[in-house]
Amino acid sequence: MTLLEVTGLSKSYGKQRSVDNISFVIEAGQCVALLGPNGAGKTTTLRMLAGLLPPSAGQISFNGSLPGTDYRKELGYLPQSPAMYRWMSGLEYVVFAAKLSGIPSREAAKVSAAALERVGLAAAGRRRIGGYSGGMKQRLGLAQALVHRPKLLLLDEPVSALDPIGRREVMELLREIRGETTVIFSTHVLHDAEEICDNVILMNQGTIAVQGELSELRQQYSLPVIRLSVETGSAAAGWLESLALKPFIQASQISGGKAVFNVADVALARRAILQEAVGLNIPLLHFEAGSSTLEDLFMKVVGS
Amino acid sequence: MRKFWTLYSKEMLESLRSYRLVWIPVVFIILGIMQPLTTYYLPDILKASGDMPPGMLEGYEMPGAAAVMAQALGQYGTIGMLVLALAAMNSLAGERSSGSAELLMVKPIAPAVIIFAKWAAHLTVLFIALGLGAAAAGYYTVQLMGSLSVSDCLAAAGLYSLWLLSAVSLTLLFSAFMRGPAAAFLALLSAAGMSLLYSLLPSDFDWLPAALPDLSAGQLTEGSVAWFGPVLSAVLLILACIAGASMLMGRNKLPD
Amino acid sequence: MDKVNWGLIWPLVALQALLAIIGLFSLAKAEQVRGPKWLWVLILLFGNLLGSIAYFTIGRKES
Repeated sequence: MTLLEVTGLSKSYGKQRSVDNISFVIEAGQCVALLGPNGAGKTTTLRMLAGLLPPSAGQISFNGSLPGTDYRKELGYLPQSPAMYRWMSGLEYVVFAAKLSGIPSREAAKVSAAALERVGLAAAGRRRIGGYSGGMKQRLGLAQALVHRPKLLLLDEPVSALDPIGRREVMELLREIRGETTVIFSTHVLHDAEEICDNVILMNQGTIAVQGELSELRQQYSLPVIRLSVETGSAAAGWLESLALKPFIQASQISGGKAVFNVADVALARRAILQEAVGLNIPLLHFEAGSSTLEDLFMKVVGS
Repeated sequence: MRKFWTLYSKEMLESLRSYRLVWIPVVFIILGIMQPLTTYYLPDILKASGDMPPGMLEGYEMPGAAAVMAQALGQYGTIGMLVLALAAMNSLAGERSSGSAELLMVKPIAPAVIIFAKWAAHLTVLFIALGLGAAAAGYYTVQLMGSLSVSDCLAAAGLYSLWLLSAVSLTLLFSAFMRGPAAAFLALLSAAGMSLLYSLLPSDFDWLPAALPDLSAGQLTEGSVAWFGPVLSAVLLILACIAGASMLMGRNKLPD
Repeated sequence: MDKVNWGLIWPLVALQALLAIIGLFSLAKAEQVRGPKWLWVLILLFGNLLGSIAYFTIGRKES
């Protein structure tokens, strides 16, 4: 079932196009990573989805309703650095958020306590937010975004400002949460996306470079490659250069005793290269035959 | 309606935790009782200060209770208004710049409800402060000078509160699109501008909210005043401020 | 007129003191203020009404 359908969404500031005509569909229950370098337009996209920024063009249809329908009731949103009232206690804040989402007082107290328990802040609930650590604030941010059981959860760089411990805590939570509701979260770290999500939308300079299921993308973008490295300062460097001219090698990148070769046939290339290495007594340090990774794809998209 | 109460209680809780609900009324009480006290003890204070030309005190006549009460309320027009505007300047501007408004705006609430709750909270603080301050001023005036009409005092305080509320509402309006200090400055400047117009051409501008302080004093000294024009214009101004702030909050959304 | 009515004077003194005490209490709990804290202590102690007003309106950083 389609939960969110975005068509031709754009946002421009003057002449600058921050988000440029992007379209995508998100199914209910999916966990989608909005991936891209800083300045790719991820935050702007999320803020348009959250109704905080009016789009310059394009449409957002939520749960099959007409574009323009207010769906904020079904939305949970966590901005990059959530500014919650420092003078409130954690519990007070979540209750406040729950009531504003339309939950009656008595129930709000109950679901808020549960939400705090959920993010591991039950004991800290009575303390003032001003005294919370970065990780605690982010978890409280998740609690306020989840307390009304939204159909769609939008998280803007939920872990990038955290130290490794805080990051781990929040990632664990996200792993649990993605089973309960539809999640879109933005990140500039491919590893975070791979860890939690099955789907990615890779953005660069306001447009979508690639989107789809991670496993499919991996297949689609896997190119047979051979990586090898040799001891530097030996005659082996010249051998690497000579390999690059072989007919079974389509493209090569060589630097400082390391080489990456794109090949047509991995098995054939592997045999030929290893035979030569043995014959010439080349001091090999590392040899790997396989496919290019998403990391390469990410770097290629970001670099171009 | 329930969401209005949620937001209003949050504003009041903040007023309490930031001590605003305490220190502003205390300041108003101090201002209120200082006026009758200094008026009453002025001759003694002057005498105590020593070198005073003889005969200067001979012409001194103790003002009547009504006049002193009017002067006491007049204190609120300067320091009182300054305090209220400065206390109100960050309630909206601060939330916009810190980003806590962002978390409010993703909730299913109309911007007008957010603004109205803030306005109502400022109104509450103002009423408590002015109510206690005027009561204290009245008590001291009665103790030192003589009797006052309670209903006149209430009417006078009411008229004055409408003038102060105009300034607070202007602060709220400006803070919907400016930084807090700039908003307070502009609001106070607008109030001062209106007062200036009124004092220069009283007969042309006697319908301005700026006429309210004079009306408040007149209510005490004369007992009845033509209040309709200024009250109407003040109410309209306040409503316009709330509507304007709501529109700006909804449209202008948030800083990028 | 010759006799000063202290019953009416002391509430004024008490209220001023109350204001300064609330200010000091809030100052002690505040993580951050504009300018050095010791300066605000002096202002609250010796600045009378205007000193306290200055602390509450411009001294504190609201969050």
